[in-house]
Amino acid sequence: MSDDPMQTPRATKGRAPDVFMPGGWVPMREYREDEKVDFVIVGTGAGGGTLACKLAEAGFSVVAMDAGPYWRPLEDFASDESHQSKLYWTDDRIVDGLNPLQLGSNNSGKSVGGSTVHFAMVSLRFRPEWFKSRSKLGYGFDWPLDWREMWAYYREVEDALAISGPVNYPWGPPRPRYPYRAHQLNAAALALAEGCEAMGIPWTETPIATLSAPRGRARPCVYRGFCVLGCSTNAKQSALVTWIPRAIAAGAEIRDLAMVGRVEVDRSDRATGVHYHRNGNWRFQRARNVVVAGYAIETPRLLLNSASDRFPEGLANSSGLVGKYITVQSNQAVWGTSDKEIRSYKSPPSLALTEHWNYEDEGKDFHGGYCYMSQGPEPQLWANTLLSGRGLWGDALVSEMQNYNHVVGLKMVGEMLPQERNAVTLADETDQYGLPIPCVTYSWCDNDRAMIDHALGFMGQALRATDARDIWEQTDDTCHLNGGARMGDDPRTSVVDADCRSWDIPNLWICDGSVFPTVGGVNPSLTIQAIACRTGDRIAAMARRGEL
Amino acid sequence: MRGRTAAIAVSGLFAAAVLGGLAARGRRRPPARRTRRDHAARQLDWGAATLAGSVLFDSAIEHYRGSFEHLGMYVPLAVASASMATSLSGGRCPGQLRTGTSVAAMLAGVAGLGFHVYDISKRTGGWSWQNLFYAAPVGAPGALSLAGLIGLAAQQLRSGDWPSDQQSGRALAALASAGILGDVAEVWLLHFRGAFHNPAMYLPVTVPPAASLALAGIAVGAGRPTLQTTRGWLWATAATGLAGVGFHAWGVHRMMGGWRNWSQNLLDGPPLPAPPSYTGLAIAGLASLRMMEDRHD
Repeated sequence: MSDDPMQTPRATKGRAPDVFMPGGWVPMREYREDEKVDFVIVGTGAGGGTLACKLAEAGFSVVAMDAGPYWRPLEDFASDESHQSKLYWTDDRIVDGLNPLQLGSNNSGKSVGGSTVHFAMVSLRFRPEWFKSRSKLGYGFDWPLDWREMWAYYREVEDALAISGPVNYPWGPPRPRYPYRAHQLNAAALALAEGCEAMGIPWTETPIATLSAPRGRARPCVYRGFCVLGCSTNAKQSALVTWIPRAIAAGAEIRDLAMVGRVEVDRSDRATGVHYHRNGNWRFQRARNVVVAGYAIETPRLLLNSASDRFPEGLANSSGLVGKYITVQSNQAVWGTSDKEIRSYKSPPSLALTEHWNYEDEGKDFHGGYCYMSQGPEPQLWANTLLSGRGLWGDALVSEMQNYNHVVGLKMVGEMLPQERNAVTLADETDQYGLPIPCVTYSWCDNDRAMIDHALGFMGQALRATDARDIWEQTDDTCHLNGGARMGDDPRTSVVDADCRSWDIPNLWICDGSVFPTVGGVNPSLTIQAIACRTGDRIAAMARRGEL
Repeated sequence: MRGRTAAIAVSGLFAAAVLGGLAARGRRRPPARRTRRDHAARQLDWGAATLAGSVLFDSAIEHYRGSFEHLGMYVPLAVASASMATSLSGGRCPGQLRTGTSVAAMLAGVAGLGFHVYDISKRTGGWSWQNLFYAAPVGAPGALSLAGLIGLAAQQLRSGDWPSDQQSGRALAALASAGILGDVAEVWLLHFRGAFHNPAMYLPVTVPPAASLALAGIAVGAGRPTLQTTRGWLWATAATGLAGVGFHAWGVHRMMGGWRNWSQNLLDGPPLPAPPSYTGLAIAGLASLRMMEDRHD
């Protein structure tokens, strides 16, 4: 039998890979398919992996499935960008709209641990007002969550991931001290700091999910770079090395290379389990509850794919909003060349940031906010950026790549506004599993463009205040998919309630970035995990009251 | 290979200092009757030598890590080696040489403090936690000054320029108390940087402060705590310093690659030679207590 984790499932025979030891195993409880487990979770990333841990630790029987392989980072990850694209979800998708998204790399993940296996580890809290952005700031939609409650769950996640952050955070209401101290800044981060100081705005070390000191069996960061292609030292606190080992220790089963194609619902409108593809066969796992945690494309796709006679428009879709209001974040950048050697590819890529324009409402001609961070593109990505952003090729590209060690850049993570027309739908074509492939439609609105203009202008000024020259703008990039099954207070205008429970099918839950009504101007992973922690606690509380 | 050469060079310095010092001492005829004063001076020698040895290796590793960017970064290696050699040689070494070395160590330490302060203040962010954590350690060169001061005290005591009495004992207790406190500040800063991830990291910020406090009580003549209690805390501090090497060796093992990757992890892991600075200061503190008991010499 092949030992290729992309071909043959590893989590079988009562054991799962030990992510902390090459060739190692840990015992794992397994459940029979005809056994009605309390929860089957579809997806093991920031949402599903976290929830699997919370539910297993609360004493529920849990099977969590992921379409991707189960890696041991210490032995499976290479310092090679092409090779590491194995972490991405590169199955067929169709993109359209006025500003079609580029899918399949940083905004996707197909691994146990999901895209947290290659995320940039930036772990930021939402600005409190964003949970009520319609009532307090006049745009988007209100969340059914209270920021003070989320503040406590943010803390839980920051502890679980031993976030390394600044001693004092310059923005927002007081927060407890980050569990670990900030990392040493690299030259790219210092350039951000210099720019901010010249512009007279605060900056800080980025709270980041990679260890600045040892923790358990994980080693501290060695500043190798390559973070966004998989951390080969386990310093990165991905779901793969944090929530999932905890989940397994608490009795959860992880099924890798298990692609769920359909959620089954019975005549009494309750989910009964999932059909999934593993080892070449379609199989069925019975469950009392089904949690969909496939992120903003796969979650709506699965719900739409599970349409039945009783739910012809797809599951949980009485509002008609499943797949609607997909919202990404603007990810434009300014780049320049420094006289100094920057070597931005060493260390985590975004060690310093400013959230100034997330918290400052004056002087904006747009709704929403953005932060911007220092950058550290790997060489292949950088060559691609030069090609797509500046059209360089041949000698011109080779010549520009000579400056690679001197490249310095600032990149925004900006809040795009939710629009109904931005959506995931099903195409007629099918993929390798025979499932209809998703079609992702995306167009920017005027507000999105105004924010991007503002950010490019401001970041350009900041970069010019350093010694960088030959400054240019990368105008077309997006990141972080959210929305598509948003939460709310009203079944007519949302897919799930505050507890991530679908309005239509009481034992069907959605727990990932697709429940975001708005996206805010920060990377979403911390908020996804905080929501999952809250959902886990709420489910446990409801179970105690017999409300499941 | 530069790393190996540097390691050999520093080990050579250390060996030369130890052997030179001990050889000089070996040639000395044993005194007819060892007085308390001699014992106290001897003990101060050991304290100064331990402290200087800690500085030698610590600055060697840290300045190597900083690629010896300035020539000045070699200075503490040379001065600490000399300081260690003269301290180990005890009374055998000519008094002027001893005094000169001690003064050089004191001055080098002060200059080092200036350089480290300058290094922090010129960085982006200035006096921020980031720079306190990762720029040149602000208080570290002070250890070299302390080694010089303690060496000088030993020399003065031995030569009779300084009486071995209550007053001298108190002055020395004050010095050791302040020195330990400075060390505590440095350790706290760096262990805070490490988020006190191992509970043992609290040890060097709890035991030595108690010793420092007890010594301060002795220095001001508060009558409490007793010499015996203070001596207990000082021995505990000395032990903490030695145990620290073991804990830091454990810390190196917890870095990526552990001891197999020693050439990287000795630089980036917890500093092995740093903790014995506590031991050196505690020994000096013990010498001060011995002087306090000195009534008859």
